[in-house]
Amino acid sequence: MDFQLDAEQAAWRDEVRAFLAENVTEELRREMAVHHLDKPDGEVEAFRRKVGQRGWFGLNWPVEYGGLGLSAVHQHILATEFEYAGAPPLDLTVTSVAPMIIRYGTPQNKAEFLPPIARGELRVAVGYSEPDAGTDLASLRTRADLDGDTWVINGSKIWNSAAQRATHEWLCVRTDQQAPKHRGISVIMVPIDTPGIEIRPIITWSGYRTNEVFFTDVRVPVTNLIGEVNKGWQYITGALDLERGALTNVGDLRRAVDDLIALADRPLADGTRPADDPVLRRQLAQLDADVEVAALMGLEAASLLDSGTIPTVQVSVEKVFSSELRQRIADLGTRMAGLAGALSRDSPGAVAHGRFEQLYRAAPLLRFGAGTNEVLRDVIAQRGHGLPRGGR
Amino acid sequence: MRLVLTAEQRELRAVFAELFARQCPTSLVRDLKRPESDGFPPQLWTALAAAGALGLPFGQEYGGQGAGLFELGLFFTEAGAALCPTVVYTTLLYGLAVDRLGTPRHRDAYLPALCAGELVASVAAWNPSDAGDLRPRLRATRDGDGWRIGGTLDFVANAERADVVLVTATEETPTGPGRVLGFVVRPGGPGWSAERLRTIAGDKQSRVRLVDCRVDDDAVLAGPDGRGLDPADLGWVAEAAVALQCAEMVGGTAAVLDRTVEYVRTRHQFDRPIGSFQAVQHHVANMRIALDGARLAAYSALWWLGRGERATRRVAVAKMHCSEAYKWATLTCHQLQGGMGYVRETDLHLWSERAKVTELQGGTADVAARWLEREIGLVG
Ligand SMILES: Cc1cc2nc3c(=O)[nH]c(=O)nc-3n(C[C@H](O)[C@H](O)[C@H](O)COP(=O)(O)OP(=O)(O)OC[C@H]3O[C@@H](n4cnc5c(N)ncnc54)[C@H](O)[C@@H]3O)c2cc1C
Repeated sequence: MDFQLDAEQAAWRDEVRAFLAENVTEELRREMAVHHLDKPDGEVEAFRRKVGQRGWFGLNWPVEYGGLGLSAVHQHILATEFEYAGAPPLDLTVTSVAPMIIRYGTPQNKAEFLPPIARGELRVAVGYSEPDAGTDLASLRTRADLDGDTWVINGSKIWNSAAQRATHEWLCVRTDQQAPKHRGISVIMVPIDTPGIEIRPIITWSGYRTNEVFFTDVRVPVTNLIGEVNKGWQYITGALDLERGALTNVGDLRRAVDDLIALADRPLADGTRPADDPVLRRQLAQLDADVEVAALMGLEAASLLDSGTIPTVQVSVEKVFSSELRQRIADLGTRMAGLAGALSRDSPGAVAHGRFEQLYRAAPLLRFGAGTNEVLRDVIAQRGHGLPRGGR
Repeated sequence: MRLVLTAEQRELRAVFAELFARQCPTSLVRDLKRPESDGFPPQLWTALAAAGALGLPFGQEYGGQGAGLFELGLFFTEAGAALCPTVVYTTLLYGLAVDRLGTPRHRDAYLPALCAGELVASVAAWNPSDAGDLRPRLRATRDGDGWRIGGTLDFVANAERADVVLVTATEETPTGPGRVLGFVVRPGGPGWSAERLRTIAGDKQSRVRLVDCRVDDDAVLAGPDGRGLDPADLGWVAEAAVALQCAEMVGGTAAVLDRTVEYVRTRHQFDRPIGSFQAVQHHVANMRIALDGARLAAYSALWWLGRGERATRRVAVAKMHCSEAYKWATLTCHQLQGGMGYVRETDLHLWSERAKVTELQGGTADVAARWLEREIGLVG
């Protein structure tokens, strides 16, 4: 084991930091604060183009697919720094979809989709969930039927985040109506501008926009199917593991706790500091210790990825731990300044620009999203400790 | 940065796991727990010495293996899983302390015997309930060509069986308190009286009273240039003790979890293994999550300490996580094993008792949190 960045990794971190110092501007932050992120040609897009120019979207892909051939630990360092700086994060296209194309895609899939992903031009919306297929994802019903050399898609997806700015749907569909439910699923890349797609916004508690998307006789070439037909379940479970791994780098949590520690030192109206309260100090120390541990979990998962396994159990452990930690951080952040903790960003008297009030509303998502923590606890017990499958 | 064990590190663990499986059954743990036992396991001791375990972190010139503190932590993990008698820990700790705080002469005097399994030892050089508190409890006065020390030590582990105990004392001078010095005291000599305490785990702890206890000059550790022990060095030893104990707790946590998983896989109710119930699986998952956190935190602390400098922040994080992970794992395992886990015959309580002692020893999570509060600038 080695707990310190080696010289080359440290230089990489410094390179990323220098890039962020130059490119995370006030204008970028202001645009990001508006959440929807759907301005087609704004600061976020400009930032992404710069990341793409450096090849950082494909940084841990093999060189033959236009990647930089760096390690998962490199990607983890980058993602952590991006989050700490509040930069637009690497999205799922890069962190979970592309690796599945590399691993399982046909030669044509790779040639067609990887280069534009590396450049930051191809961005997917991830179409798994349906109104009746949430945790029980394998019961999804959106179907694709073969008509000559064309797939014809009908059905609907819900919680289809980023569809409003995506170029493609990474769409999970049923391609065999007779097969057992896990064995009749495939993944198809669907250009978002294909006729027959309708996108309707859904606004969530945090202000984040997601969508419901309807597919009516949507036709795409047969070659847009990823890998092999009816093998999709394997691809999406792999992609979900990677999604969890990527979601749970804890740069944002480290930043939040650093900000809380600074806030605890700031005098209140009555002249006392929050940190004068030993109970609060104890709680802050716990959050600090827990963020450190969550960071180690993330680095362990990245190290295991570099040794060639998808560490399903470790990323589940990390996802459960860090998502519940995020809620505890948000909770303490809103409790530190009395009733002022209830003030939102645009209110007079807001604490820390309302960011903990905001985090309080944002944090629930990561606890049930990307695999609910209940199901992931099942995964840990079953895959990690050999316990039998129960009700699921 | 690479958070996976190397092949050699895995191999080392496997070797010790195998040794403990053979030489440290729970029947031994129960035997040593009895009040009439002195806590010393002759056969295990011989085996550990033969395997080089007692010399693991010490230089080859002393008959040691020259391994790092991190590797010693891997040993403590396997030891913790098997509930190794604490005399092994205190002896190794004594060696680490002499190695760090002593002169070459001290190392020559103690380390070869220790590596060979011929020296049983202990250390009482910080507050047993707060390893961040290094203030000596004893006073020392000059007496001819030696010293007289006096005072009370509330907890000295394995005091009765140890050949030597390293203690610290504040020198009394005509102008008030002087240097902090280390003394190698021989239990049972003139001026030494010890009263056995009875702990929940039956480990051997004593309250030791020293009255005009004579120590010769050659058994005094006076620090670099004789200016007294450097707090940075003594602090390093205390932190290494905590971090190693954390590694022990990681092993203990993993062991109770494994035993319990085995139990819930085989115990049937409602015609199915109880391990198929989701409530049971979630208990298992929660223990696993806590174990992973504890393991990473403990190994990070050991790795940083292994570079030779204090690592207070990482040690605090480790103690906070390990104390709670081990304790709650044992309590949850009692729940999952129901009545069968509650009877003495099935041994689970042996880990639960050790978990409680290790939670408190060196400082609870609350105490460690105070170390961390200082590190992150919330106080002082
Ligand atoms: C803002 C937002 C963005 C999202 N983005 C996307 C996206 O881009 N793409 C996408 O495909 N999906 C997305 N999702 C969907 C998300 O992944 C699902 O919400 C999640 O998988 C849970 O499904 P559900 O909402 O249907 O809840 P349900 O499945 O109805 O679950 C509700 C509760 O029941 C519990 N439960 C269900 N089954 C079990 C069981 N067997 N054992 C124990 N407890 C159980 C769950 O753990 C949960 O606590 C998004 C959701 C939101 C809100």
